[in-house]
Amino acid sequence: MADLDKLMNLDGAIAAFQYGDGGKLIDSRVVDQGPLDENMLDLLCHMCAANTCIATMQARGWESVTGNSGFYPVEGFSLIGFNWSVVTHAQYGVVVRNDEVDYESAYQAVSGQAMA
Amino acid sequence: MIKRLLALDGVLAVCQFRDDGEFVEGYGLMPEDEMIRLSKFAHDYKRMVQGNTDQLSMFTQMPGWTPPRGWIVHGQEKSVLSIANLVCLIENQGASVSEVMQELDRLAHR
Amino acid sequence: MSIVSELVSMPGVIAAGEYAYRGDRFSYKGDLEPEQARMASIMCRSTTMGIRMQSDMLGSIYPDCGISPSRGWAVKGPKFSVCVVANVFCFLSAEAPFNDIMQFMTTRLHDDISDMV
Repeated sequence: MADLDKLMNLDGAIAAFQYGDGGKLIDSRVVDQGPLDENMLDLLCHMCAANTCIATMQARGWESVTGNSGFYPVEGFSLIGFNWSVVTHAQYGVVVRNDEVDYESAYQAVSGQAMA
Repeated sequence: MIKRLLALDGVLAVCQFRDDGEFVEGYGLMPEDEMIRLSKFAHDYKRMVQGNTDQLSMFTQMPGWTPPRGWIVHGQEKSVLSIANLVCLIENQGASVSEVMQELDRLAHR
Repeated sequence: MSIVSELVSMPGVIAAGEYAYRGDRFSYKGDLEPEQARMASIMCRSTTMGIRMQSDMLGSIYPDCGISPSRGWAVKGPKFSVCVVANVFCFLSAEAPFNDIMQFMTTRLHDDISDMV
């Protein structure tokens, strides 16, 4: 089974993806007749990459100001949307329905994916 | 009321801020000036995530993303979790992200 | 004459407009479809908020860095550029006098470091 296929086995998963530097979509899976297509996923990946970059800058600033470490480098970003959530780690991510999401399992799955 | 989040494993601090970013209250294992900074960061990041989510909806025409409910930034050892005007700092080892998110959601919408 | 009217009368300016820092309200003049202008105002507001936050953060680390609070930003593509100062945005073609327009915007909006951000 392909890696992204495993992510699609998560409860409520409607899409799984891998993106490259800057957010360009490399590979993806979507559920049949779901709300997402490849173009949408490509934009979603770019948004996740942008938010991760900003959070990385903030983690750097935070550590510099407070001396508290543990944030940098930022490894993942999740957005809890109105109906959907996207959970990413490194360059892998999964989109899950909010009414079925388990953030911990989703994050473990995508981070396992990233380290594989 | 938000203080009860500290009872969950791995939770280091929890803060509440107003819509304009002003610090309301905070509890946990960090000095107040850092809690104020954490609230400011959460407020700024929330608005930026909102802006980026608005653009995602606009470009994809896909419903269901906006208005965003919250966000998570996963650091190497610590993570920051936020829903509405609450923000929580956790230690990755020992904390359950799902449990903290559930409690944040409950407190934010009570 | 409003700053938006003055901007659209300048050579090379395709469109100019204003957006509210909060909410969806915007107004504009120039050669953009209303839907394009709406999208432009959303993108400009979002970028302004992000840059404002980043410069505030830099300012909190280095208080004398001179960049905080931020006043505007510009992005340049192969054919078009976008300039934003305060809550006013301006779309330019490559022929537009970029320096003059930035100078005009920063001068006219000099005191407009809004608490509304």
